[in-house]
Amino acid sequence: MHTVGSVVAVVPLHGEGILPTGTRADVFREIFWVFLLLGTLVGVVVIVYMFYNAYKYRDGGARAGAVDGRERGAADDRPTLGELPTGGGGGRKLFLSFALSTVIVISLIAWTYGTLLYVEAAPTEQEDDVLEIRVEAYQFGWAFTYPNGHTADGTLRVPQGETVELVVTSRDVFHNFGIPELRVKADAIPGQTTTARFTPSETGTYQANCYELCGAGHSYMTAEVVVMEPDDYERWYENTASNSETPSNATTANSTTANASASVGGDR
Amino acid sequence: MNDETRHRTEPDGGHTTDGGHASAGERTTDGEHETDGGRATDGGHATAGDELDPSRIDGHADAAEEAFPPLGSIKRWFVTTNHKDIGILYTLTALFFLVFGGVLALLMRVQLWTPGGNFLSPLSYNQAVTAHGLLMVFWFLSPFAFGFANYVVPLQIGAKDLAFPRLNALSYWLYLFSGVLFGVSFFQGQSLAGGWTMYAPLNLPTYMPNVGATTAILALVLFVASVTVSSVNFLTTMHRMRAEGLTYWRLPLFTWTILLTVWMMLFAFAALLAALLILTSDRLLGTTYFAAEGSGSLLWAHLFWFFGHPEVYIVFFPALGVMAETFQTFTGRRLVGRKWFILAMILVAVQSFAVWMHHMFLTGINLQVKTLFMATTIGISLPFDLMVFALIYTMIKGRIRFTTPFLFSFGALVLFIIGGITGVFLGAIVLDYEFRGTYWVVAHFHYVMVGGVTALIGGLYYWFPKMTGRMYDEWLGKVHFGLFFVGFNLLYFPMFLAWETPRRVIEYDPAFVTWHQLATVGAFVLGASFLVMFWNLSRSLFVGEEAGDNPWEFATTAEWAVPSPPPLENFPGTPSYGSGSLRFLTTERALTPGEGSGGAPGVADGGTTAAVGGIDHDLDSRGLGGHDPDRSHDPNHGHESHASVWPFVVGLASFVVFLGLSGFRDGGLPPGMEGGIYAGIAVVGTAFLAFALVGMARQRFRGPAGPFGESWPFDGVENTKLGVWIFLASDVVLFGAFIGAYVFTRVAHGWVDWHVVPHDPTPGLVNTYLLLTSSFSVVLALVAAEKGSRYGLLAGLTATLVLGVGFLANKAIEWNELFHEGLTLSSSVETSTFYLTTGLHGAHVLVGLLIVLYMMGRAARGAYLDDERPVEYFGLYWHFVDIVWLFLFPLFYII
Ligand SMILES: [Cu+2]
Ligand SMILES: [Cu+2]
Repeated sequence: MHTVGSVVAVVPLHGEGILPTGTRADVFREIFWVFLLLGTLVGVVVIVYMFYNAYKYRDGGARAGAVDGRERGAADDRPTLGELPTGGGGGRKLFLSFALSTVIVISLIAWTYGTLLYVEAAPTEQEDDVLEIRVEAYQFGWAFTYPNGHTADGTLRVPQGETVELVVTSRDVFHNFGIPELRVKADAIPGQTTTARFTPSETGTYQANCYELCGAGHSYMTAEVVVMEPDDYERWYENTASNSETPSNATTANSTTANASASVGGDR
Repeated sequence: MNDETRHRTEPDGGHTTDGGHASAGERTTDGEHETDGGRATDGGHATAGDELDPSRIDGHADAAEEAFPPLGSIKRWFVTTNHKDIGILYTLTALFFLVFGGVLALLMRVQLWTPGGNFLSPLSYNQAVTAHGLLMVFWFLSPFAFGFANYVVPLQIGAKDLAFPRLNALSYWLYLFSGVLFGVSFFQGQSLAGGWTMYAPLNLPTYMPNVGATTAILALVLFVASVTVSSVNFLTTMHRMRAEGLTYWRLPLFTWTILLTVWMMLFAFAALLAALLILTSDRLLGTTYFAAEGSGSLLWAHLFWFFGHPEVYIVFFPALGVMAETFQTFTGRRLVGRKWFILAMILVAVQSFAVWMHHMFLTGINLQVKTLFMATTIGISLPFDLMVFALIYTMIKGRIRFTTPFLFSFGALVLFIIGGITGVFLGAIVLDYEFRGTYWVVAHFHYVMVGGVTALIGGLYYWFPKMTGRMYDEWLGKVHFGLFFVGFNLLYFPMFLAWETPRRVIEYDPAFVTWHQLATVGAFVLGASFLVMFWNLSRSLFVGEEAGDNPWEFATTAEWAVPSPPPLENFPGTPSYGSGSLRFLTTERALTPGEGSGGAPGVADGGTTAAVGGIDHDLDSRGLGGHDPDRSHDPNHGHESHASVWPFVVGLASFVVFLGLSGFRDGGLPPGMEGGIYAGIAVVGTAFLAFALVGMARQRFRGPAGPFGESWPFDGVENTKLGVWIFLASDVVLFGAFIGAYVFTRVAHGWVDWHVVPHDPTPGLVNTYLLLTSSFSVVLALVAAEKGSRYGLLAGLTATLVLGVGFLANKAIEWNELFHEGLTLSSSVETSTFYLTTGLHGAHVLVGLLIVLYMMGRAARGAYLDDERPVEYFGLYWHFVDIVWLFLFPLFYII
């Protein structure tokens, strides 16, 4: 418990205490770093201890004398061929370590569980403010449908600072829609919908990938995610009601991304 | 062999004195049979510690049994049923598949050398990904572990062989031929290319039309058949055939891990079999389970992961067993907290069936379910902490010798710790959301799974001297470990650093190029390290030092108390822990005055019986007595068989059948020549398989005879009976998964909106009566057999046959009418579930009727009258099939 607390204290916390808040990206970063720090610490301690014991109790000339000393008890009592097994000693130490590891793991998970509730429970306030966009996966691309019926293929445009709810499904096989930089991910399952919410905090162009093997084009099944200034977005959105970007003219969408300020994963 | 059987008197006689054992009463019964002295009469050439040599067994071979060829002969390896030979076959075959899967991995790593490489086409890459996963998980990891299990477990528990040696050989041949079939799939257009998880509906012909994909799935079905046969065999052996004094708590840890592994296999692979059979039916017959909108995709995910998570432990537990054994031996310490270690493993084995949905956190399951599965997942990780600490504390006050096996085990523990810690990351759902489908998962499970491989490689070095009688070269072994460990971490650790790369892509973000190139270098180092191993081990076969019985100081388990390699029937006497440590009870001791009072040789009624007849002698290991205490006392039949070519033939025939089936698609065949060829192969294969099965059933073959030292809690259940029960347990899971699939699909489509396919339940009701009546007729047949009435027996069997044929005919008429109404297998998901689930049951009925037909033929010539047990065991199966129908009828006809 003590260790957990002290490590958590090192991590920059958002206002209201021990549970991380903010965008999904913030939440992920904080939890990930705590896990990484603590995981590394535990791993290093345990593995170093293993090596220490392996070295200390190595069989060798130098140790022949030591065996006569304080470790005589153990030395006299070596396993013999054909004996029936008995439980070795050391039970107390075993249980202490076990209890410690249990406490660490359970407190870590309990802590992240609070975050899970936070992430999952977000939608209660102002249901109207949520921008719902339907994401349809197909071999091998993504189609996005906006509330006004506008459909775009290959490019998702969202306004900065607004909560977006993706309603994800698939036309053919199992895919998975993910925008790594924004820490958004949802399975795209035929005949079923899943949802993912996020609130982009910075404008820019990001890349969405497919995270479930779906066939020959899986590696190339990407989409562009453009986070726009709210005003720019509004202007763009006004103009969409009439003309849809269909797969046939989807390429034109790429020309409008000149204002990209961030780019993920290089150009393909 | 005779040596052992004649010494049997001693432990049983001795037992009455140290009674108070849970099973003492049962054993006393056996002791009484002992004292009729029949066993002591046979042979007579036994002396203490006399080494058994195969030639002596050859001398005993009677006409119906096959002679057992010597080790050097090629023929030996096709006919052997000896557990040690089969262990070696498993090990070598598994290593072949390691190379196969490893080369595929190297191809992938070459492709990933640059961010946008052109080495492989996307489809080739997807096939490589898929085949690599399937080969490593199915055709390498478990069979490799089962090479050791085959070789070592009977030695550790004091058994002369597995309970059903021929079935053991059959498991091996099914395994080998399933692997060959998988290899064939690459030559039929294209193999599976959807990842080892084979997600639906990508796995359907709509998206993967090639014959090769079907072949690969059929290869998996054949593999599962092998696993199921093997599980039944191992469970029967380990529960029934332990040496005196070897209670469960006292079993060596490697045996413990195998015991739990096999239990998990029995159930997990039954679920996988259900998934694969449904998939096969979708591909071959055109049912629409996995194509069904709104249910198919998730149905596959549930079925697959219900199998998939236990599979992780199925793969890892044997490695844990090797670690426990080698840590004890090479530290010269007993495992700390041994009982807790075992309890932790039992907990994991049970709980492994309740965590599968953590693979599906992003599929839209609700928060409550997520929470539940997060809790079970974290819960299952905790027992492993205990096991890790137990292993570490075992080193304290040890005399640690860094031999190659210990280095590998020690390394495996380090890798497992890293794999375990990175796994906890995945247990936190918020993190799991982001790790899903990325290299974090790839890196994590390779640390765990290949960490397990590391320990198993240690096991190979550990038992190599036992298996071959020669020592490997220690220095080369250490070189292997050095290269392996460096290569391993160079390969998999950078994957954590490049974790944002999506899984199974052929090109990636150039930002990660350094990590991917390091990984590729590591892959080649890891691959090269195995060249050192192959060189070392094959060279040592010829020039290695003689290993002696026990090359390892502080080894405790029984395999080290016998020569390397052990003689055909393993022990110089009957192994017993009755006195508190391992002893081999021999003739002299058995004859010591005051012990084994009735056991004097020559007082025999031996030779009076031999009335066993030519039934399947796998059925014939001597059980309870009670029916016929003299069974198997004939001096000419008092030994066990070690050779049968039929397992090989059955394996080959199954291969041909499945190859023929692979051409089918949507209930039809490809047009023209190709279709004709596949149909021809299927027909020829089926005839060949029927011939092989009858040949195997008719062969005289004698498995290890009891009574055995410890059989608790199955003292009263003879081997074959227990085997049948265990098989039925896996069948329960198979049907359970089918019914689960039906319920899941129906709920997804709205329970009440569902169209029950047969609008008239009458045929189903009639069939219920027919089957129930047939259960009575089987009972009547058994009673008649017990009374020795041949005609009663024949009448009972005939009635069963008639009723069963009536069931199938009624069903055929019913189906025919439904077909005419246009309700075919592919009409809808309703008809698919109806035809397939009741069809699976019908197939069980059909198999039962074929057995009845076979038994009628034999009964007409007087079989089963002095040993009615085959009728009894068939009855168990038949009643089970009836009970299944009692569930299916209401589910598919009424509600
Ligand atoms: Cu994909
Ligand atoms: Cu799992």
